[in-house]
Amino acid sequence: MKSIATKKVAGGKMITVKVDHDNVINNIEILGDFFLHPEDSLELIENSFLGRHVKEDRLEAINRIDQIVAHNGLELIGITSKTIVDTVKEAVE
Amino acid sequence: MNWRILPFETHTAAMNMGIDQAVMESVAHGSQPTIRFWRWNPSAVSIGYFQSLGDEINIEKCKELGIDAVRRITGGGAVYHDYEGEITYSIIGKESIFPTGITESYNKLCGYVVNSLKNVGIESEFKPINDILVAGKKISGNAQTRRGGVLLQHGTVIYDLDVKKMFSLLKVSQEKISDKMIQAAEERVTRVLDHMQISMNDLHKALLEGFTSDKEHEHGKLTKEELKRAKELAETKYSQRDWNHMR
Repeated sequence: MKSIATKKVAGGKMITVKVDHDNVINNIEILGDFFLHPEDSLELIENSFLGRHVKEDRLEAINRIDQIVAHNGLELIGITSKTIVDTVKEAVE
Repeated sequence: MNWRILPFETHTAAMNMGIDQAVMESVAHGSQPTIRFWRWNPSAVSIGYFQSLGDEINIEKCKELGIDAVRRITGGGAVYHDYEGEITYSIIGKESIFPTGITESYNKLCGYVVNSLKNVGIESEFKPINDILVAGKKISGNAQTRRGGVLLQHGTVIYDLDVKKMFSLLKVSQEKISDKMIQAAEERVTRVLDHMQISMNDLHKALLEGFTSDKEHEHGKLTKEELKRAKELAETKYSQRDWNHMR
């Protein structure tokens, strides 16, 4: 099943999440006008959702992304780990 | 530190993206920091690195009007770059010569645009994350990337803008392009020509002054290697579906 959700973030940036899922997430694309350095590291965040249950605990998902950001020295600008997880949740639930 | 200032040139969208990347690569290998001002011909729509071309741009309308479409290596949003309506700049140097923090570096580099506009009598201010406003309306959008120890910031200065044309190229349902929506956009965006009747060449001179007044600099051009690399990138990356439709 394919789902999509879009959020406008405080500060004006937009994030859209497109998810292909059943009980687990099979494919995910995170899109928007935010910034992330380095740019190609978005795949690390996207891939971390693959195989996860659609009802994965919100805080666990946020922690996972925060760890990816910290361990890889990434900089998210205009969106946060919470924004990403909440948009994914909105798409799948 | 001696900056290189490239000539005010006009290129296709793909070539402009290729030049920015080629200069980033040469700066990574030790070339001097570089500033360039440029225009887009044909006019073009660029999308941010994380956007979908198909979601953001009315591709059929772009084809009909002969408008280029390209994905940038920087994040941010979709932008319509009119040949007659915009001067774009790029500033490229080793990360170590710029402030480390994102907001601090945008503030510093956007300050050059603010200084330039002041030179022509327009008071503006930097609005984080990446905008420059005149009396609360956007006159400049800016985007940054950092790769291989090199920082690139490119950005626009809106000289003139046809809001109706811009909306026809972006993926907004045609029914929604109402007079009210156009009026709302007019209230959020402003142009140099709304404030000062100057030519584009005079605006370029003001930008040149605003960007270089605090720097040792010399006027130069792309090296043969940079030009060759920029053409290669334009042909094999920035004009290719694999890149532009990556998302």
